[in-house]
Amino acid sequence: MHPLILVAVFLVCTVVGYFIISNVPSLLHTPLMSGMNALSGVTIVGALSATGLAYATDGVWAQVFGMLAIILAAINVFGGFGITHRMLRMFNKKK
Amino acid sequence: MDWYQIVLSILLSLAVLGGISMMSKVKTAVKGNLLSALAMLVGVIATVVFSGVLSVWTIYVAIVIGALIGGFMASRAQMIQMPQLVALFNGLGGGASAFVGVMTYMGWGNQIDSNGAPIVPDYPVFVNFTAILAIAVGMITLTGSLVAAGKLARIIDGRPKIYPGHSFITLCLLALSVLLIVLGTVYGKSPWIALGAVLLTGCFGFMFAIRVGGADMPITISLLNSLSGVAGSIAGMAIGDIFLVAVGGIVGASGLLLTQIMCRAMNRSLMSILLGGAVAQKKKTVATPVVAGKTPQGQTTQFAPNQDFEKLLEQLNDMEVKQLLDAIEALTKEVAGLREQLAKGGAAAPAAAAQEEKNSPASVLSKAKNVIIVPGYGMALAQAQHTVKQLADKLEHRGANVRFAIHPVAGRMPGHMNVLLAEADIPYEKLYEMQAINDDFKNTDAVVVIGANDVLNPAANTAEGTPIYGMPVLAVADAPEVIVCNYDLKPGYAGVENPLYKRDKGVYLCLGDAKETLMDIIEGIK
Repeated sequence: MHPLILVAVFLVCTVVGYFIISNVPSLLHTPLMSGMNALSGVTIVGALSATGLAYATDGVWAQVFGMLAIILAAINVFGGFGITHRMLRMFNKKK
Repeated sequence: MDWYQIVLSILLSLAVLGGISMMSKVKTAVKGNLLSALAMLVGVIATVVFSGVLSVWTIYVAIVIGALIGGFMASRAQMIQMPQLVALFNGLGGGASAFVGVMTYMGWGNQIDSNGAPIVPDYPVFVNFTAILAIAVGMITLTGSLVAAGKLARIIDGRPKIYPGHSFITLCLLALSVLLIVLGTVYGKSPWIALGAVLLTGCFGFMFAIRVGGADMPITISLLNSLSGVAGSIAGMAIGDIFLVAVGGIVGASGLLLTQIMCRAMNRSLMSILLGGAVAQKKKTVATPVVAGKTPQGQTTQFAPNQDFEKLLEQLNDMEVKQLLDAIEALTKEVAGLREQLAKGGAAAPAAAAQEEKNSPASVLSKAKNVIIVPGYGMALAQAQHTVKQLADKLEHRGANVRFAIHPVAGRMPGHMNVLLAEADIPYEKLYEMQAINDDFKNTDAVVVIGANDVLNPAANTAEGTPIYGMPVLAVADAPEVIVCNYDLKPGYAGVENPLYKRDKGVYLCLGDAKETLMDIIEGIK
């Protein structure tokens, strides 16, 4: 993948994301932040592929780092989405 | 990366964007969150399949461990712990990105060609640069968030902490980190550079977060949230994963936007917050005498814990003198008032006392038809949101119109009050943003303030040179009757006294634990 494409993707997503997110009312800012937080755990896909590929070729250290990365990211993802879900359900529980 | 992987990445990124835009309405927000989560799940499965690591057992063990810990924390956490939990999760995400950076930088986990030899990346300099940058941003996010979480959970002191030579050390750390990034980019794989980058940038994150005060946390968390996304995105550039780059960028934008909103709501620049108010404080010491000279009541006792020791002492002296002056002034006024009463004849005093007796907070609320409730961080601390709900219910039952006015920076994270009130089953239609309700304060019968101070301090409009000057505040001072359920009358985090408490008419101070004072009021309402 050419570096320029990657940088371009980053820029486009930042701009588009910025405009979409500016529609979110302050009422929902905490769930939004916590949802974004969960999304930042997307780095788990990097951790997974790197750890998996390193299994056959690289040593124990690679596995230690990799597993740590996956664990941290997984806590972030599962915890983040879980909390966001709980919070949003509170806003919605209407009689 | 093959074309179908690219297409899938784009589709998943669009799904994430769709999920976020669904989060702009309460009705669709739950589904939006699920859509984002689903996109992530598909992304994870696709990654595992496409990179051919389905058979590696270690990744499953790690996922299960992480999922159990995260799930457990998410299901057990109380709403009151939300700010620190968000900060903590955020830090872990940043840490994960840093580790991915370390792995990529060390060349662990490169793709293998059909002969089993690792494929050398096409753009080694770009990979080295982004990998070590991911380490830097990730580590700053990790340590910064841990400090923020510690401050929010009150494990460490919430006040801004400045070490001797703080700015110098921070600058040195920054310069050394930049040097390591350059070295790492040029030389490539070296465990020492990786280790150095982890340690130095980790220290940098610590130094910058320890300097920020508790009430500036909404901004800090938003900023760290943004950084965690950027860290992920950079890690994605290092390993050449479009989905990771895209989602990281979206998260980065969201954090940035929230940071902006918070800064605007506090009328402060990001830099002044990151420097712990040090910049603003310098201006302030110059400005204070002017203020004191202009307004004789100048209730601008300021406390700036983050100044050099000498300056701090100087200011303490300053403050004592001013407090004395204030006290003298108050006494003079009181004496003058008493004299006036005496002149009118002794009968006036008991009558006034009787009037006072009649107008208790409960009696005011019993009569009120229009009530606005203003919650603040104190409500979160006292966990009084359910008692607030009882109060609102009782007032509504009596036919009153009860609304809630939410300042954008009330609490310790963006939207903090909304979540707490939602937890107490208060319908979100009753929660009003500042701009929507500020004009209604003067037409309302009574305002109940619960654990809020700075966000309604009228001094923000007048006291030039104080940290809150120019910050948009709730116009509580316009209301005829104000009931304040605060723990004490100490100035809020900004250190500026609230002249509203000294208003002689229509202000009722119910000091102490908000849960108890509110219960008293509720019982008093007939």
